[in-house]
Amino acid sequence: MTGLSLKGIHKSFGTVETIKGIDLDIQEGEFVVFVGPSGCGKSTLLRMISGLESVTRGTIAIGERDVTSVAPAKRGIAMVFQSYALFPHMTVAENISFGLRLGGVDKAEVDRKVAEVAETLQITQLLDRRPKQLSGGQRQRVAIGRAIIRNPDVFLFDEPLSNLDAALRVQMRLEIARLYQRFGATMVYVTHDQVEAMTLADRIVVLNEGRIEQVGSPIDLYNAPENQFVAQFIGSPCMNFFSANVEHIDGERCLSFGRETVSIGQDISVREGDAVSMGVRPEHLSLDADARKLFEGEVDVVERLGNETIAYLRVPVSSEPVAVRVPASREPRPGDRVTVGLAEGQVHLFEPAGACLGRVPA
Amino acid sequence: MSSVALARADEREFNPWPAVIFVGLVVLAVLFLAPTIGVLLSSLKTTKEISLGELWSLPHSLYLDNYVKILSDPAVHTYLINTALVAAPATAASIALGILAGYVFSKLPFPGSDLLFLAIVSGMFFPPQVILIPLFRLFNGLGLIDTLWPMIFVHTAMGIPICTLLMRNFFATVPSALREAAILEGANEWQVITKVALPLSLPAVAVLATLQFTWIWNDFLWPLIFTHSDAMRTIMLGLVFLKGQYSVAWGVQGALSLVASLPTLLVFLFFQRYFIKGMTMGAVKG
Repeated sequence: MTGLSLKGIHKSFGTVETIKGIDLDIQEGEFVVFVGPSGCGKSTLLRMISGLESVTRGTIAIGERDVTSVAPAKRGIAMVFQSYALFPHMTVAENISFGLRLGGVDKAEVDRKVAEVAETLQITQLLDRRPKQLSGGQRQRVAIGRAIIRNPDVFLFDEPLSNLDAALRVQMRLEIARLYQRFGATMVYVTHDQVEAMTLADRIVVLNEGRIEQVGSPIDLYNAPENQFVAQFIGSPCMNFFSANVEHIDGERCLSFGRETVSIGQDISVREGDAVSMGVRPEHLSLDADARKLFEGEVDVVERLGNETIAYLRVPVSSEPVAVRVPASREPRPGDRVTVGLAEGQVHLFEPAGACLGRVPA
Repeated sequence: MSSVALARADEREFNPWPAVIFVGLVVLAVLFLAPTIGVLLSSLKTTKEISLGELWSLPHSLYLDNYVKILSDPAVHTYLINTALVAAPATAASIALGILAGYVFSKLPFPGSDLLFLAIVSGMFFPPQVILIPLFRLFNGLGLIDTLWPMIFVHTAMGIPICTLLMRNFFATVPSALREAAILEGANEWQVITKVALPLSLPAVAVLATLQFTWIWNDFLWPLIFTHSDAMRTIMLGLVFLKGQYSVAWGVQGALSLVASLPTLLVFLFFQRYFIKGMTMGAVKG
């Protein structure tokens, strides 16, 4: 059953159209993440789902119900804000129970539900405190508690972890994942952090300039991006791109790639002489001696992450630095001359305009 | 000389400016307080002591008859009650309307709201004397002259610009996410104002309550224009009309001045802990 359905959603602010036609069905109980660069419209889309922003054109349905014109509080949704939006003059208990008290729920019932939610989120000892007496992670839990207590059909999260430090972000990400496992509710999560997107989502919706670029599971988006924008956005460091032209060598259609040629078979829809963009993930390039040699390069910057190292190279075949993922045991240094090879993996082919032409094994 | 010794010598170098500023502030404080002290001293003296011209000398004995006279005077009671009947509702009404208007201008803007806001705030810049005659004619036509109503209406109306300005500026510092969170929880706009915005705005309201009450309590012009009977006078008019035709009972006037100042002092003391917070948290940003 569909948990949330968006059909033909358009949004304009004056003459500026920010959402340019969104169609999306989210299954009941699915965890969907909206991801994209700043200004792509992901938060605007979330606010339209919540009812805080009106829809210029299109319909929004939750379950079988058209909620396009329904007041936010009557849509069966709950939202966790980026800034937590806790009421500073209320205690934690009062914050969590605010909606219930407004609805005239019996005090005993309110107290019971608050205690239950506090127990779930392990914040029972914080109920009498005010938000300014809480840490960032505690505030986030209270905000989640305020959402949970209303038992909504859809949870909305608007970049809830962006105000937290790196360590706390990982911890809270796990808590949100546990929350999803426990409640199994439909969740729509907005973030610009692709690590959050990849780790939390059942499906990711990549947005750019008010349009959906691709919808798919995290691994599908990583392994089979449908265009250059998605290929570049998903994955850190991002995919390396090289320009090439289609050639006919020994009766085969190939791309010259440094010292190597990559056969592109007959399934890819290109002609001899066509310009294409080749995308290779950093882990599919190698500095090992036994890899298929492609081109020479010079190490520019090295990022040592502990379990692995990312080397950024200056190479003649690309105007942009090329990122290569190498094992931590290998210690390239800035200034080293290296030979870049092709490891086992995939080479992605894109049109100059960005659409994916297909993939060929390396 | 070692570098440590040189550093210690630098630390001991005398900076005169804090002392200069302190002395200047003390002088200003004395100048501001001097008239009040003079009035206080006069209020504790007999007419004879005052007429001997010793304004700043301490009284020979604690003479409280001036206070007894004014506190037992039914006319003074009437003046104080009239002033309270004007100041309290006018303060409450202007602040209430300022809160509502300030909230709308801050959180619910609409086409033309900026212009309307400027029009309302520009009311602060009208000298009262400019609208004095039209207002008199209006209230005269309504048969309200020599009642308290004109003063209540005028003070309410003239308080709206400053109250709207302060509250709008304050509400602008309240994150919109709080309003949105309340709406998602089921609050209507009235509940957002009363349960979220207003409790947060107590410092700003305290500033307004103190300022408005003081301005209205101390007003002389509008009561002078709109009242003519003794039964309708406010305390500031009462102070002036206490003068006799040929002489002035300075001691009694001094006592009445201080008694008349007490309510505003009490209001300030009551709201004091919110006042400083309100002044510094953007409540009075222009």
